[in-house]
Amino acid sequence: MFRYVAFRVAQGLFLVVAITFAVFFILRISEGDPARIAAPMAANPDVINTYKREFGTDRPILSQLTTFLSGIPHGDFGTSFRYLQPVTSLIKERFPATLELALLALLLSVSLSVSLGVLSARRPGSIVDWISGTLAMFGQSAPSFWVGLLLVAFIAVRLGILPAGGNESPLSLVLPTLTVAVGLLPTELRVLRASMREVLGQDYIRAARAFGLPEWRINFVYALRNAVLPMMTLVGLDMGYLLGGVIVAEGVFNYNGIGQLALLALNSRDYPLIQGITVLTSSAFIGLNIITDLLYSVVDPRVRIAQAAA
Amino acid sequence: MRRFRNRISKSLIIGSGLLAIPVLTAIFAPVISPHSPTYLDLTQILEAPGAPGHILGTDSIGRDLLSRIIFGSQISLLVAGLGMLGALVIGVAVGSLAAFTGRFGDLVVMRFVDVQLAFPYILLAIAITSAVRPTVGLVIGLLVLAGWAGFARVVRSAALQEISRDYVKAATLLGASRTRIAWKYVFPNLLPPIMVLAAMLMAAMVLIEATLAFLGMGVPPPAPSWGTIILDARNYLGSAWWLTVLPGLGILLTAVALNLIADGLQTLFGTRIERDAVG
Repeated sequence: MFRYVAFRVAQGLFLVVAITFAVFFILRISEGDPARIAAPMAANPDVINTYKREFGTDRPILSQLTTFLSGIPHGDFGTSFRYLQPVTSLIKERFPATLELALLALLLSVSLSVSLGVLSARRPGSIVDWISGTLAMFGQSAPSFWVGLLLVAFIAVRLGILPAGGNESPLSLVLPTLTVAVGLLPTELRVLRASMREVLGQDYIRAARAFGLPEWRINFVYALRNAVLPMMTLVGLDMGYLLGGVIVAEGVFNYNGIGQLALLALNSRDYPLIQGITVLTSSAFIGLNIITDLLYSVVDPRVRIAQAAA
Repeated sequence: MRRFRNRISKSLIIGSGLLAIPVLTAIFAPVISPHSPTYLDLTQILEAPGAPGHILGTDSIGRDLLSRIIFGSQISLLVAGLGMLGALVIGVAVGSLAAFTGRFGDLVVMRFVDVQLAFPYILLAIAITSAVRPTVGLVIGLLVLAGWAGFARVVRSAALQEISRDYVKAATLLGASRTRIAWKYVFPNLLPPIMVLAAMLMAAMVLIEATLAFLGMGVPPPAPSWGTIILDARNYLGSAWWLTVLPGLGILLTAVALNLIADGLQTLFGTRIERDAVG
């Protein structure tokens, strides 16, 4: 077990380091000049050079790299070109909002797919099965930004029931959460339905029936406990996908989180901010991934054995 | 081929039929389009569907929506198709490289795949697009980045499974070379999963292209893609909802068709590939 934990942590560190270098070099192949964008229109070369000196983009790449790398251990990702504030504090301000949206969407999609998955696995070909199949097909074929826009157009603007965006009230979380969840639902639902079908065919389920246990107890307790693992693995692996969905939803709903910050940084070629966001959020999600992975082995002895063998 | 005949499912037939709609639209765009997709008529802006001369209405600078959706199918399908092909070629090459080069090669190659898969895709796209000016080529490159690693992973595990079969052992004992085994024996057996994955990936690519376009990382104007039409309409969402809804239906139709085909191919070949392998 200890070997497995060490292996996973080492793997995670390798990924973080690789992503750090990758994002640094990607940003240096740049054609656009952040100094030129920050400077007033048609500024003379001197002004632009002053900006360059201030941003540090006039220095050779290697010295920029060492500055960047030596700051990371102190949590220093430089100063944003656009906001003129430390990158770390900008991210810290917005990270909770992003995490909140991500977790709510995960919660909603998992509870929906568990209830729909169990009901449709129980009666293949029934109406519930058909509805959940159609929902899954819709969720994986409709781009989530479009789903979000439809929700804004019809529920927020036409009906005026819910706010169209922002972070003001808890109600403004409803539509973004729904949007992200619709994107997550299809895979979770498919995986859960398939494993549920498999478990329901096993002898111990028949035995439970023979004992006369109530049907809901057989489905939601006896079968679900064993069927839920593949879906949880998927959820753990899909953290990056979840993050992508959240970023898109933040763009659609003007939700003040990391994703919107990244999209604004894109337009102003705010390198330090993009570097910081990429490195910090991918580390956070790689870390979450490792934690969920290790939690399974606590929950399910079968995983522990498989890991010891690996 | 007889063994496949009774496994042709409804989803394969319906999916292929539905896919014909966007594909034919893209091919015959110049013939069926009522107007030029870039012609502006500033006297007729934000017309609702059903307006005279503009069946689906016009956008905020008076361009005909139907013509833009029709021509948008060209860009959307072409870019997504090339992205899918690029991801397929690289994915198959990298996956088989990992499977055939033994433990060390596998270890090295798969670490690149790991890094790609751990890198939150949208953030990677943002980093790249903020460095390089968006062009059609760049968008295709971004789509390749979105797909190759998942593809490589599936091809690798399918190839490893084939290699462990007895017939490969028998061929090795008979003295067949590694290249011969790879090409003549293993590769044909990889075709079914590759085809299924290609269909799934193509659906994902259409969505990703639209998403990138909506986030401002798409094919540069004035060429319309379904995603950029929706982006252009963003400020008129409350008043002119059709500008958002209708191009989205094009995306939805194409993706549903491709996903149905992917499902149908799974039934046809009896393969089972999880969808999280893509996108």
